[in-house]
Amino acid sequence: MAKENVVVIGGGPCGIEVARNLRDLGYTPILLEQQSELGGHLRLWDRLFPEGVEARKVLKELTGDLKGVKWFTDVNIESIEKSRKGYTVNVDTGMSFQTKALVVTTGFKLFPAENKQEYGYNIYERVITNADLEQYFHTRKDPRIQNPKTIGFVHCVGSRDEKACNRQCSKVCCATAVKQASEIKELFPDAIVYCFYMDLRLFGRSYEDMYLTAQRKYGVRFIRGRVSEVSEDIDGKLFVKAEDTLLGKPMKMKLDLLVLMTGILPGDSTKQLSEMLKIQTGEDGFFTPRDTILEPCMAKDGGLFMAGTCTGPKTIPETLSEARAAAIQVHKYLSK
Amino acid sequence: MRERFLIGFDPFVLPFLLGMAFVLTYCIIGLIRVVLQLSKADRRKLAASLFKPANAWKNLRDMFCDCLIHVKLWKRNPKLGYMHSSIAFGWFMLIVFGHIETFIFVPKKAGLFYYPIFFRYFMEMENYSLRGSFFFFIMDFFLLIVLSGILLAMFKRIRSRFFGMRRTTRLSITDRIGLYSLWAIFPLRWIAEGFTAGIAGGSFMTIPINLLLKNFMSNPENITVAWWLYSIALGTFMFALPFSRYMHIPAEILLIPMKNAGLKVYHPRKGFALAQIYTCPSCGVCIDACPMSASRQNLKDTTVYLVRQIKRNNARRMNAMTEKCLMCGKCQEVCQIALQSYDIRMKIRERATYNVGLKYDYLDSYKPEIGKAKVLYYAGCMSSLTPNTGRSIKKLLSAARISWTQMDEGGGVCCGRPLILAGRRQEAAAMIEKNTSIIESSGAQILLVSCAICYRVFKEEYKLKGIRVMHYTEYFNELMEEGRLKVNRGALRYAYHDPCDLGRGCGIYEEPREALSRVGIIAPAEKERALSVCCGGSVGSLTLDHEDRIPITQASVQNMLFSNPDRIVTACPLCMKTFSRYSPVKVVDFAEALCDGLEK
Repeated sequence: MAKENVVVIGGGPCGIEVARNLRDLGYTPILLEQQSELGGHLRLWDRLFPEGVEARKVLKELTGDLKGVKWFTDVNIESIEKSRKGYTVNVDTGMSFQTKALVVTTGFKLFPAENKQEYGYNIYERVITNADLEQYFHTRKDPRIQNPKTIGFVHCVGSRDEKACNRQCSKVCCATAVKQASEIKELFPDAIVYCFYMDLRLFGRSYEDMYLTAQRKYGVRFIRGRVSEVSEDIDGKLFVKAEDTLLGKPMKMKLDLLVLMTGILPGDSTKQLSEMLKIQTGEDGFFTPRDTILEPCMAKDGGLFMAGTCTGPKTIPETLSEARAAAIQVHKYLSK
Repeated sequence: MRERFLIGFDPFVLPFLLGMAFVLTYCIIGLIRVVLQLSKADRRKLAASLFKPANAWKNLRDMFCDCLIHVKLWKRNPKLGYMHSSIAFGWFMLIVFGHIETFIFVPKKAGLFYYPIFFRYFMEMENYSLRGSFFFFIMDFFLLIVLSGILLAMFKRIRSRFFGMRRTTRLSITDRIGLYSLWAIFPLRWIAEGFTAGIAGGSFMTIPINLLLKNFMSNPENITVAWWLYSIALGTFMFALPFSRYMHIPAEILLIPMKNAGLKVYHPRKGFALAQIYTCPSCGVCIDACPMSASRQNLKDTTVYLVRQIKRNNARRMNAMTEKCLMCGKCQEVCQIALQSYDIRMKIRERATYNVGLKYDYLDSYKPEIGKAKVLYYAGCMSSLTPNTGRSIKKLLSAARISWTQMDEGGGVCCGRPLILAGRRQEAAAMIEKNTSIIESSGAQILLVSCAICYRVFKEEYKLKGIRVMHYTEYFNELMEEGRLKVNRGALRYAYHDPCDLGRGCGIYEEPREALSRVGIIAPAEKERALSVCCGGSVGSLTLDHEDRIPITQASVQNMLFSNPDRIVTACPLCMKTFSRYSPVKVVDFAEALCDGLEK
């Protein structure tokens, strides 16, 4: 008997894991990725919290074993037709795929930091984002980072901010900030590192230890309060105005580097597919599953499955678990 | 023509007569009240302007054009223009010709109020004369005109969209009584005159009715019933008039001279403002114009309903509606009577009391160091949140080799406009005073302002001796005209948004467009210039929350995307921040757009 095709849209960690599991369950997964490489945001990250495992190692593990998975990169979805038999997915390279079950793993995008102009990303020389910093950790090359003596991290850039059109918490950036603050302190031990936060949400196992280590071992200074505005002086140093809400005092400081912890928004393809497939989304733009508690991987329509950050911000292990859950659900659906 | 009855009276004229007496008394008392409420200076101003020939002529012309012909409405919306002028002008002509007829045929009865109105009842035709037929025709002709207007008015109640109005006003009970009695007056007049057409004569409207229903019509029993009904309809209308929107008919006659005398609103429901309130015809054009109408629940807070609450003196609702308003001034722009809703709202806000006092005595100790230069740049508070604007301005200034210095680098004193908009003039005065002394002692010749909100307050409230206050759109356009700032023209298409405070507030529409057309192509918005739509971010609203503002911004962005621009350009940092949250195309500040034309 020929193996049945299952189309998975989105080749990030989630899509890869869904595909691998489906293969193990005896299907032929067809993995479609828009970019020219598999891996999604994992490719851009250096190390993962809480233990600091190398992202590349994880990615290698995931992509190392794709035998039996048909994967295509550089493809864009043109249209998807729904019929009684299932879905026909047409892509821009001219191919089209028939599938009874369709898995959507289109993921997230980072909030474009330019949209908060008051923080000066792409305007001031020494303002970077969390993604830029991960890139730097990996390559150790960035003209904006020149042996900084004072460094600030701004939490919640484009999350929990209605004026940035995103009321939701992005969940993973607090831990990322604590991790990055410790890492940069390791690179520049003389630097003073500040974190400007509104709440610290370190929810996972041993994240609290990471936070304590950042304070005790690395001396990162956590300041509860938002940065209101940033300006630049003639020699390129940043003037930051913020408020320490625990002391109830406004503060001004000069920094050599400012890192913006950009939040998580639904990816562009998430938006595109929600229109194409008429998948219900919440006010935040992420997909709404059939049942958030009992059936988090299933859409309202039968045969349509979703997993990973297209249904909301998640850590890598959460994403991978959900990917495996989705694969099981697909299997149950197809063997009915 | 001769009289049918010697006494020239019938009890059926009483409803009309009583109504008329009531309206006249009411209006005269109202007139005296309004005039007494004016300050002495205003009263003198009004009296002086009444006797100035040029002004008197203007008053007459405005009364004819606005009250009768509705010229402004014709220009904006011909269908609505026809509807209103057919009723107003047609009715006016019926009254005028009725009097002429009376005067010609029975001069001794010309003094009776009701006689010209019920002329056809009291007269009898002996033989046809050309003169008589002329009047028959004229009267029937204008009756037809009025009836056509009434028919359109009825249709408008069912399908307002036919007249280009998405929404019309929800009428109050007295408005409805006025409306239905007004609708009844003319068909009843037609029937009543049809009854007597066999006796008193008639023309193409009334004779056919008479012939058509010969048996019924020629029964003298029915004649008085018809005339009673006609008179009752008139009487009902007159009694409802002072309490309904139809008060605008007499009130506008008072408003026009007051407006032409240049009076100013000093109290939300006294004097000039009261005249305006009563002149509002509740047409509801302001409902569609209001940016808040993007969401349904805000419709009840538009100007037409505010006017109603002011009439009722409902202080709670007046304050709530006023605080919600974005103060964009668009309702005033589309208003047929140019109701000064902005000024009236400001006066309501100024009368509000606050529990918290504000003190600004620390301003005395603030002494900024400002360099000497010809141009003093005031960036304003919003500019710290939009650093690109400041950067671009500095780039342009240095490209034009201007000697300049910044007044509020690293923090300064607020321009005062947010406080003024909150009605706290006294507190704002402290800031205005401080800034004035800083600016005047700087020795600069030009005060350059990049925020439309600040610019308006500098223009309206500051008295800066020997200093030119310039918005950067004016200034950079002037520099380009003089050839001091050179830019290249690119292929980008810019849609320019008129910020409320800059456009409607200060009348600056052309300079930014001229300047932008030197660096790219202007892509017009659907509604622009005086009709531009508020971005929704306005500091004018004190109570509208973020959720309520989102639909306003989205509607305004849609308006800007009308001709598929590459960029939305605005000359106000607040509009820019507000737009950039919801716009699918890039939103840039005016100065940033000009920098596109600088050689890199």
